Amino acid sequence: MSFLVRCPQCGNRSVYEFRFGGEVKQRPAPGAPESDWVNYTYTKVNEAGVQREWWFHRSGCRQWFQALRNTVTNEVQDSFFPEEST
Amino acid sequence: MSEPSDTLTFEFNGQPVNARAGDTVASALYRSGQRIFTRSFKYHRPRGLLCLSGKCPNCLMNVDGTPNVRTCMTPVRAGMRVTHQNAYPSLEHDWLAVVQRFDWLMPVGWYYKTMTNPRMWHAAEPFVRKIAGLGTPPSLDNVSGNYEHSYRHAEVAIIGGGPAGLKSAIELATKGEQVTLIDDQPGLGGHLRFSKNADNSLAELIAQIQKHANIQVLQGCYCFGLYEGNLLGIVQPRPNPQAAEQLIHLRAGRVVVATGAYESPLLFPNNDLVGVMLSTAVQRLIHLHGIAPGKVAVVIARSPLEEPVVADLRAAGIQVAAMVAPESVVKALGNKRVKGLVTRDARYSCDLLVVCGHRIPDAGLLNQAGARLQWDGKKGAFIPADFPANISAVGEVTGESLVAPGPLPPERDPANKRAFVCLCSDVSSQDLVDAIDEGFDHIETLKRYTTTTMGPCQGRMCQLPAIGVCARQTSRSMAETGVTTSRPPNPGVTLGALAGARHHPTRRTPMHYEHDELGAVWLDMGEWKRPRYYQAQKGANERSCVEEEYRAVRERVGLIDVSTLGKLDLKGRDVGMLLDKIYAGRLSDLRPGRVRYGVLCDEAGIMLDDGTVSRLADDHFFVTTTTGNLDFVHQWMKWWLVGTGWDVYITNLTAGLAAVNLAGPNAREVLAQLTDCDLSTKAFPYMACRSAPVAGVEAILMRIGFVGETGWEIHFPAESGPDLWKALLEAGRKFAIRPFGVEAQRLLRLEKRHVIVGVDSDALTNPFEAGMAWAPKLDKEDFIGRAALQRLAGQQPQQKLAGFIMNEDVLPEDGAAIMVNGQLAGRVTSVRFSPLKQKAIGLAWVPAEKAHEGAEVDVRVGGRLARAKITEQTFYDPEGARLRT
Repeated sequence: MSFLVRCPQCGNRSVYEFRFGGEVKQRPAPGAPESDWVNYTYTKVNEAGVQREWWFHRSGCRQWFQALRNTVTNEVQDSFFPEEST
Repeated sequence: MSEPSDTLTFEFNGQPVNARAGDTVASALYRSGQRIFTRSFKYHRPRGLLCLSGKCPNCLMNVDGTPNVRTCMTPVRAGMRVTHQNAYPSLEHDWLAVVQRFDWLMPVGWYYKTMTNPRMWHAAEPFVRKIAGLGTPPSLDNVSGNYEHSYRHAEVAIIGGGPAGLKSAIELATKGEQVTLIDDQPGLGGHLRFSKNADNSLAELIAQIQKHANIQVLQGCYCFGLYEGNLLGIVQPRPNPQAAEQLIHLRAGRVVVATGAYESPLLFPNNDLVGVMLSTAVQRLIHLHGIAPGKVAVVIARSPLEEPVVADLRAAGIQVAAMVAPESVVKALGNKRVKGLVTRDARYSCDLLVVCGHRIPDAGLLNQAGARLQWDGKKGAFIPADFPANISAVGEVTGESLVAPGPLPPERDPANKRAFVCLCSDVSSQDLVDAIDEGFDHIETLKRYTTTTMGPCQGRMCQLPAIGVCARQTSRSMAETGVTTSRPPNPGVTLGALAGARHHPTRRTPMHYEHDELGAVWLDMGEWKRPRYYQAQKGANERSCVEEEYRAVRERVGLIDVSTLGKLDLKGRDVGMLLDKIYAGRLSDLRPGRVRYGVLCDEAGIMLDDGTVSRLADDHFFVTTTTGNLDFVHQWMKWWLVGTGWDVYITNLTAGLAAVNLAGPNAREVLAQLTDCDLSTKAFPYMACRSAPVAGVEAILMRIGFVGETGWEIHFPAESGPDLWKALLEAGRKFAIRPFGVEAQRLLRLEKRHVIVGVDSDALTNPFEAGMAWAPKLDKEDFIGRAALQRLAGQQPQQKLAGFIMNEDVLPEDGAAIMVNGQLAGRVTSVRFSPLKQKAIGLAWVPAEKAHEGAEVDVRVGGRLARAKITEQTFYDPEGARLRT
């Protein structure tokens, strides 16, 4: 595993500088049915292709951001701070 | 031929050997008369120089304690110690060569066929280990130097310093790109170095490279892997006199592979005899080292292209007895050394058999990077195609100027027990044919079953012949048979280089050296060093020291360094909202000046961490985390803040603040000497916090009681650590204060049944099972884990964390098994001898039906079972009166 992740703040860096935060998922509303919570807590899509993920630049700016990564090629297509994304 | 210049001396098997400057270990040994360099892996057949370019296994030796060094690639240094491997007593007379007579006992797949039960292997292992193999690993006191890592970047990395690589480097560097050129040979030039036809252009190219500011050359360094993101793994031997090797992690924008083509042997009986050499190896010996490797040579070659070799041989004074075509070869003659060659038409005597083998593009790195290898019948080679982005190739590795020397797959039946395909592990063409007959007819299964292409040469010598045999025996074409996958590392890398220098950062608290002077016995907690206990007198045993520290806290006063706690300072209008969201308890209604215990769960309701939350002001909180979880909690907080727009600023003060816990019946009298803060229970009750100077140092004081006594946790600037520590000990002197360590703290808290998250709980523990049902506030509208905890609250847990006390005087170990009716039913998480109960007490996971007062379970102690009684009582001060006074 030696691919590069583009931090929106610091640019391309070795993946070892980052902590992986998993797939981006929508957290259910407080009163949502139990099945929604189980789904949110325990299941993953594990897309073979481009998926939206959380990353934390541990050895850099220490910010959480989201990235679009192709899980097959490990190519990071785009990365951004979620509040700045459309 | 090069002229002898200055000479130097090194040691081979204890004997001095002279070498010339420019020699490799192999060339110097060859000049000194050494012909057998290794004994083969399995049959102990003598082997001599074959490729002389670091691509075959025939010259591996132990150099300065490092095993399996390719001596043909290792420049000679004065005083180096070289020894042979895998032969006893000597390379010339190896008793183990008798193994060859029993080859009928060792058919292909021998392990799979004979080692069918574990006892067989246990019986055979000592012999197999002695007989088969390569070098022996160095002992720790016999390593040849340090191993280093370095991290570098290049706009373009060019692998290979042959003519194509050199030209490409100059071209790109002239365009302004920063080029790093990696070449594994002792000098630049590739095949031009040893080819007679080279004109002056090489010297000119090298001069241009050397003066170009944009080109950096890594000479004598080999690239063993091309990883995603264009990361190159490169080993540089002897980067400086202290270091054995340096592993260079080179990240390149673009990679140009210019590794060229190498020569691989032909398949005929006795093709492994000493004196059978590849034509390029012969040219290297003649032109690079001034050595004539024989008197009478026979050349096996097909095309007129090989004529320069004949000219080279003649110029070196070697008589060329014949030039024969590969398909007419019947077998080579000789025992330890080659003595002749039998062809279909004639029989020749010779002491050198020159093989003009297949030229194979060295495309392993390209294959690793994702390029396909495609068969090209005209070139007689697998040619790389479909390059990934930012990776390209130039020169012979692309197949340029290659011509097939003979038909592939072979026309004749190749099966012969002495025609070796794989020199690394003695796999003959007969072995391959047998394996195919047994059903391993796919090239990848054939590889795994016979181990061909899996030895130190990583398939460079054997891949093409093996594919040829496989294709012929299965009546498929070369293209249909396909090629085995190249994987890094290729060539092999020492474990030392991969491991590199050991960097274990150690964190010391500000009071570290105070503890040292007090006789601290250290405990590693993650990166931190903490005093486990203090050895007040030399030779005092741990139990008596811990008990004295324990008594000081229970009866008088004790002081512990808790600087390793995670300390987070949170400021802003919305901190309460954040804390309510991530802690299971309610914290937003905490009044300034108060402290509350907080448990942090994940969405599954699993306890992740715990700590204290103090509100210093309306918009200012101070949170502590456990020692190991600081980074996690900090990142967790930041994660849940993303996108909320809340007004929260988090500062990690862990390294900036020192912290101590002063506890015991006399704690108030001690602290009162150093602060004007009113410490009376009325003014400063249990679970309150204040900011006040202590011994002139601005501090946060929290009245909490992990150990179960009146006490204050004091946080203050790290630079005042030693001063305040000493001031507190001084103020406590008249109460016979004792510093106490982690062991005493764990015992004290265990008597109070305080759970340590991560010690008494694990990655599946929820607060209800841990007896902390009071912690989650399910009436809060939302917090992390609420949905799961709400569900769990309505369920009966299957197991519970329960207190226990041993019935007899035994001390189980942490982690001991809990048994119920002879069945494994749980485990002990913490257990200590309690001076209070005069028995071992602890916490354990037990089945829910046993988690009530008076129930009995068995605990495994030293191989037998001992009875323990479950108790729901807190062992010490159940009402918490001592905390509150």
